[in-house]
Amino acid sequence: MPGLPLDYAIRNLGRSPSRLLLTATGSGLVVALVIGAGGFINGMQQALRTSGSERNVILIGIGSEESIERSEIPMSTPTIAAASIPDVVSHAGTSAVSPEIHTALEIETETGGKTNAMIRGVRPSAFLVHENANFIAGRPPRRGMNEVAAGQLAIRTLGYVGPSEAVGGEISVDDTTFVISGVIAADGGVIEGEIWMPLSDLLVVSQRDTLSCVVARLESTDVSGTEAFTSSRLDLELLATRESDYYASLAAFFRPIRIMVIATAIMVALGGVVGGLNTTYAAFASRVREIGTLQTLGYSRGAIVRSLIVESVLAAAIGGLVAAGLCIWLLNGVAIDFSMGVFGLNIDSGVLAIGLASGLGLGVVGAMMPAVRCLRLAVPEALKAN
Amino acid sequence: MSLIECRQLTRTYRRGDQEITPLRDLDLDIEAGTFLALMGPSGSGKTTLLNLLAGIDRPTSGSLVVDGREIHHLSRGALAAWRASAVGYIFQLYNLVPVLTAYENVELPLLLHRISRKERHRRVAAALDLVGIADRSDHLPRQLSGGQEQRVAIARAIVTDPTLILADEPTGDLDRESAVSIMDLMARLNRDLGRTIVMVTHDPKTTEWCDSVLHLEKGRLAEAEGEATTPMASESNLESEDVR
Repeated sequence: MPGLPLDYAIRNLGRSPSRLLLTATGSGLVVALVIGAGGFINGMQQALRTSGSERNVILIGIGSEESIERSEIPMSTPTIAAASIPDVVSHAGTSAVSPEIHTALEIETETGGKTNAMIRGVRPSAFLVHENANFIAGRPPRRGMNEVAAGQLAIRTLGYVGPSEAVGGEISVDDTTFVISGVIAADGGVIEGEIWMPLSDLLVVSQRDTLSCVVARLESTDVSGTEAFTSSRLDLELLATRESDYYASLAAFFRPIRIMVIATAIMVALGGVVGGLNTTYAAFASRVREIGTLQTLGYSRGAIVRSLIVESVLAAAIGGLVAAGLCIWLLNGVAIDFSMGVFGLNIDSGVLAIGLASGLGLGVVGAMMPAVRCLRLAVPEALKAN
Repeated sequence: MSLIECRQLTRTYRRGDQEITPLRDLDLDIEAGTFLALMGPSGSGKTTLLNLLAGIDRPTSGSLVVDGREIHHLSRGALAAWRASAVGYIFQLYNLVPVLTAYENVELPLLLHRISRKERHRRVAAALDLVGIADRSDHLPRQLSGGQEQRVAIARAIVTDPTLILADEPTGDLDRESAVSIMDLMARLNRDLGRTIVMVTHDPKTTEWCDSVLHLEKGRLAEAEGEATTPMASESNLESEDVR
């Protein structure tokens, strides 16, 4: 049987602007939350997924498998590793072996703000190992010149809008001022949230005489040669782990947090449904007599429920679309400073679709029960309402 | 054969532990083309009878046949479809959809039928013209007076060319002048177009336009007055007394 005209549902939206605003706002908040949560999870996963290469092997201190920051290995390790690991990539006679320090330090921005930043001390060979790290502005930092390079997400946490603005900017680490000489992009990996400093400078700043790790780029994904090296040099107390495996283990470590984010989003969405139910029921309950009239005219309950759902979905869609637009505009790419480093919220089409679908779902579920409840009343009773 | 045949028609409600029977073992025949008034005190069962005739309520027992169709046997969906084609209902409070214009309100029942947009337009225009409200077709209900709203409601009731027009105190919420005008219109529908009308009313004056009056009391037929007392009642009949 034919249903009620779409015009009826559309015009009903204007009957109570305050209710429309309430429904649209509720739906918008749920959509924004789902998109925010999705963007967070997506961003974190993307950062971890794109950070590790299968051809890179990390040498870290035994017992520090879970965190490079805690690892301390001798300064001689890179030289020994370059000579001992059989299949290290070599570029024009330079081995792709990168001695590194990973440390989180408090830094002061140009505006006087203080923030914790992940700082990686590197030598030029780092760019032979981390092939996806490229300068999108400026140049590499020079040692002894108080220069640093910053990832393109890190510069946002430092308050810069874009790479060109960041180059020439200054940060202070432990009362020493460093100039940002360049901005690095790395396919969305964790490097984009880091500040890279010449290794020798960071050794001074952090007052340490050990490395955190050595990263070597291999000709293949086979790490058996590296493992043989660490087994033969027990005095170095090294552990070899594929870089991709290291970040995969980090991803597994953060899985409970992802689950918590999803659970929170679901709980808030359910709260939104309950709130929406009240608003929608109030809206429908005030039209019980009209619903009875439509039934008297011959409209089936199904046709009326469909129309009420369409009305609710339209209201939810208005809020959802506005929220989705605001999320893309305000949240996409926003740098999140997390324990694993900085990563950007990644709102892609999948996250948008899930967010909008949850808003529309809220519209359907939020309308279904109130509509059925209003229609449960016998027609003669409904006609006496109000 | 009568247009409407009620046999042992009974309607019982349950309200908590209490059982209420507003209509009890009613036997009634209504001929096609009749303009019938149902009268009686509150709780006498007249609105219950009207609701049963409209197919918006179901008898607890007994049978109800309208135009040869045993509507007491119809499923809820079939009953809705039957109402859409066979019944035009006029409410005391007009019950127009506030967000739709007069034209759209009248068009609403036609959307349930598979007819072209052009044919719908023709029928709506004809119905609005018949009730004398064509010049207000694009007005929303709130932009109309009570009398005008009731005219739109009558146009909505007749636009599908139903077998039966039912009216629940159609002048109950109107001033005297509007009430006379509405009763004139309904009488014209009955007289000129041969529509069968069953009207619930509390007001004896409005029965002057009817050709039969049934009095109900405690769910039973109390008395029946044969032919309409004043089928062609004019405005002057009501001028001396309030309709309400």
